[in-house]
Amino acid sequence: MKFRTFAAFVGPSVALMILFIAMPLASVFVQSFQVTRVIYEEIEVESCTPGFVAQTCVTETRLQPVVDDQGDMVVETEFVGFGSYINVLEPDRLAEALGEASWSRLMGIDFWKALRFTLTFTLVTLPLVLGTGLAIALAVNSVARSIRGQVIFVSLLPFIITPVIGALSIRWLFIGDGILTALLEWALDRDIAMFAQAWTIELMMLIYRVWHVAPFAFVVFYAGLQTVNSDTLESAVVDGASRFERLRYVIVPHLMPLIVFVALIHLMDAYRVFEEIVGFSSQAHVISLQWLTYDLLTPDQSGSRSISRASASAMLTMVGIVILLVPLLRKTWRDHRLGRI
Amino acid sequence: MALSKFAVATAAALMATGAWAECAFENPVPVKALTAGFAAWKVVTASMAECGNFEAELDQDFRLKQPAAFEANPSLYHIGGVSNSPFVPLYDQGTIRPLDDLVEKFGQDISPIQLIKLDGNVWAIAMMVNAQHLMYRSDILDELGIDVPATYEEVLDAAAKIKAAGVVEYPMGGTYKSGWNLGMEFINLYLGMGGEFFGESFAPAVNNDTGIATLETMKRITEYLDPEYLVSDSTYVQQQFQQGKIALANLWQSRAAAMDNPQESQVVGKVGMASAPMGSVRPSSTLWWDGIVIAKNITDEEAEAAFQVALEGMDSETITANNDTAVWLVDGFVPGAAAQGAIATAENGAAPFPASKAMGLMHTALGNIVSDYLTGATSAEEALAKVEAAYTTSAKDAGLL
Amino acid sequence: MRLPIGLRIGSSAFLAAWCFIAAFPIFWIAVMSFKEPVDSFASNPLHVVFGPSTLESGKGLSILDIVVGIAALYAIFKFSTSRLPALVDRYSPFGLRVAGWAVAAAAVGLISVVALFGVLPPVLSAVEGVLGPLGRPVIGLTAEHYEAVWVKHEFYRNFLNSIYVTSGVVVVSLTVGTLAGYGLARSGSNLAFWILVVALVFRALPHSVLVAGYLPFFIGSAEILEPLLGESAPTLYGQPLAVIAVLVSINQPFTIWMLRSFFQNIPAELDEAARVDGCTHFQAFRWVIMPVMWPGVITTGLFSFLLAYNDFLVTSLLLDASNQTMVPAIAGFFNRETTTTDQVEAVAAAVSITAPLFLLVMVFQRQIVSGLTAGAVKG
Repeated sequence: MKFRTFAAFVGPSVALMILFIAMPLASVFVQSFQVTRVIYEEIEVESCTPGFVAQTCVTETRLQPVVDDQGDMVVETEFVGFGSYINVLEPDRLAEALGEASWSRLMGIDFWKALRFTLTFTLVTLPLVLGTGLAIALAVNSVARSIRGQVIFVSLLPFIITPVIGALSIRWLFIGDGILTALLEWALDRDIAMFAQAWTIELMMLIYRVWHVAPFAFVVFYAGLQTVNSDTLESAVVDGASRFERLRYVIVPHLMPLIVFVALIHLMDAYRVFEEIVGFSSQAHVISLQWLTYDLLTPDQSGSRSISRASASAMLTMVGIVILLVPLLRKTWRDHRLGRI
Repeated sequence: MALSKFAVATAAALMATGAWAECAFENPVPVKALTAGFAAWKVVTASMAECGNFEAELDQDFRLKQPAAFEANPSLYHIGGVSNSPFVPLYDQGTIRPLDDLVEKFGQDISPIQLIKLDGNVWAIAMMVNAQHLMYRSDILDELGIDVPATYEEVLDAAAKIKAAGVVEYPMGGTYKSGWNLGMEFINLYLGMGGEFFGESFAPAVNNDTGIATLETMKRITEYLDPEYLVSDSTYVQQQFQQGKIALANLWQSRAAAMDNPQESQVVGKVGMASAPMGSVRPSSTLWWDGIVIAKNITDEEAEAAFQVALEGMDSETITANNDTAVWLVDGFVPGAAAQGAIATAENGAAPFPASKAMGLMHTALGNIVSDYLTGATSAEEALAKVEAAYTTSAKDAGLL
Repeated sequence: MRLPIGLRIGSSAFLAAWCFIAAFPIFWIAVMSFKEPVDSFASNPLHVVFGPSTLESGKGLSILDIVVGIAALYAIFKFSTSRLPALVDRYSPFGLRVAGWAVAAAAVGLISVVALFGVLPPVLSAVEGVLGPLGRPVIGLTAEHYEAVWVKHEFYRNFLNSIYVTSGVVVVSLTVGTLAGYGLARSGSNLAFWILVVALVFRALPHSVLVAGYLPFFIGSAEILEPLLGESAPTLYGQPLAVIAVLVSINQPFTIWMLRSFFQNIPAELDEAARVDGCTHFQAFRWVIMPVMWPGVITTGLFSFLLAYNDFLVTSLLLDASNQTMVPAIAGFFNRETTTTDQVEAVAAAVSITAPLFLLVMVFQRQIVSGLTAGAVKG
């Protein structure tokens, strides 16, 4: 294919990605190295606010932004090098915590706390999603054809449901004396508060994510099972392979590319876990890397956003995902060199 | 948004039959508002919508959305519903307009108490005041022979007795949701004990004995709360009250009327209102005002229309029809039973919320970090040191220090 | 191959348990949405199911209602599974069966809603008057929250916005994506490889990073673009078209990877033959490759649909109240939920938003499986 033809085919897509992904990313990269500040001056002002019967007027010292002739705030932008990265990573407190070998001190630093949860979440849900998905696919593949359609339909529900709604529906089952909490309390005969400590919240998030993603793994694996070569399976039976051996040596190798595919997609999605934090309002106990970025970007009570620190945290998050993807990228590169891609 | 849309539809229907709803002013230009979502705002925006051409977005996260929305040119909203602290960023970035000329032109009915003045100009028109104060189940206190508690020590004693009697699921409720709510609880108690947040030139000063005493009191309170207190906001506490699950709470006055709403509440007529518990200096509460501002980046014509619409929304007719929904500042308001707690709090000397840029940063830091101490992850001193460090980092980023 | 009995029972039990877990939360919020607030949030599950206080306020279903309602639902189900496919086949224009199905699904949905909520209740309540005990309500149930959401709060506006944004994203995404996917599949150059790798990294980016970059630009676009476009420079904030562009871009990496692997499964000999016959690359793509690509396009389209329909972060940040889609509008309900009634209305809205997804999966379930089987995902 000539380059011009190739460019014509790929052009629109690449243009969109450059405009809406690469350019924002570049600006985030630049912003992580600089801080933009408003210039303030201290002035004496009289302010009046209502009381119940009369106004309360006080004269107070107030920090007021300096404005220019057009009435816009004067801002200065300063290059801070890795200053914002240091503010996010807090190496002093990290060294202190490591020096004391104190896990709880380490978990007192937001970034490392978020990293700990994000990695745990990603690595724990991965095998669960793959295992559950495969189990459902095998089970569905063995039920009678007459009800298979309905079973697939029900199985797909958790995947298609809007994530925010899904998380909320699980939350309603558990929050306060939600019915499942009530059921647990009845079964264990003790008072349970699912949202009162970190580990139960984390557990609920893990369960929610597996519930939400397992159907995707299932439907991909199920599609793969339809193409398993029945001759190979039959000859395996003739060779006296047990059911488990057939699974282990015929079916799983056949599904391997699909397993890699699902694992890859899941790795990327789980690493940017975010909806769960919002849906379960877990920020007091557990936070994730993307939530940390989001939180820094959200205007605080004084209306300012920590753009620089947020950018730094975003870049660090990205470095993490690239590290996770390296093995895969290397494999893709080898395939490409061998001309298989 | 939705309620007002409904009102627009109703108004349009009425207009078709020739009967204009209460609005005395027929609004010619489209006007949009972004306000908080509690009951008083629902009432006021619905009444504004009667003037036609009006759309309101009611959002409890309004404080996060307003600064960016008002900075746009043209501004995305004409009217902003604000209170003490969300007012500050809007004023600082210069995206709201002084209202003196509008007040002079249209504000015959505004009572002087409603004018929010700063540096000699009027910037906002307040419609109501709000404060956190003690709400209690009068039937339970009577039954157990407990007097209405006046200080937090008495509140804790009462809570212990209620717990021992086992009449409700949890003796107390509290708006301890991490973030804004939790920060607010710290501020209430700390101010009540006479604490100061800042030293010289806005350096943080919360890591002191008062701060530690505040945290310790908070921890003692949490023993009587639903263990899921870190996710409980005002709505959640209001529901706990309505479902008869709690007996005491320091809750917003704007929630008081909901206790007697028969459709939702199982405790109609059983919830009493009293002053916020006294700290060593003043009540553990702050006084807030809620009111409207008008965007700067809109035409003068739009500003005039928006201002008139806003005034129509908070006129005496609307207020008298919804007397108990809030503690209104508008003429015609008659303080009822629901207002007594807030009035007592003010009479006991509660301070207005000390809104400022620095306070906003401090509030954010407190809201995020106090939970570390409550969950037992850190000690009180460590938590306060972390608050000061977080405040310092963000104040440096913002240019305050 | 038949399974031994033990394994069969085990696997059926596992599957039954899974189906229960999969459906229960959705079923439960559906039940909650039909009750008065006191029942919805009751801690006793039986109260939530039977709704005593809803019943007390005189809103409920009698045995007659239940019987007739189930019969009506069954009739609708039977009709959609047995008669509808034939009707669609007969009346849809050639090559547009997908559109035919969409129209049919919408029509069935609409007629069902009118029949179940508009026609049946008055008829039944007239009959109940003369029936005595059979006509007395036994289960508390009320549709008032749905009425509040759709009529009073005008949720249909958000629904229309959702349809606009979602269909825009699907159409643009597939058009741009199939072109790119084909180009990438047929070019072995290093450039193609690097585009794919970079797309993979983009796929992994946290969205909040990107979205936060858009916000200042979108709000200030009228001022920023003025030197370029003059007076007519638009404020992009609140423009559904801008949101469509953003969602399409965010979704491009996944779309091109997926479509590329579909194209790779179509033998290159096919378009080479067409080229020998004198077609240009583009003609070969349009007239030879596309006709055999439909399974892949439909499967990819479904994923685009889900992304656009379910998106919260982008739509909530970049759209304002007047043209919000359904998901941020529901989040809005939660943000203004200051009373328990508001909460139940929010639940009702949440259930409403799930219904179209139900229909979608029912209609396209076969295509999802067969599309994936056709080999989208060979790694």
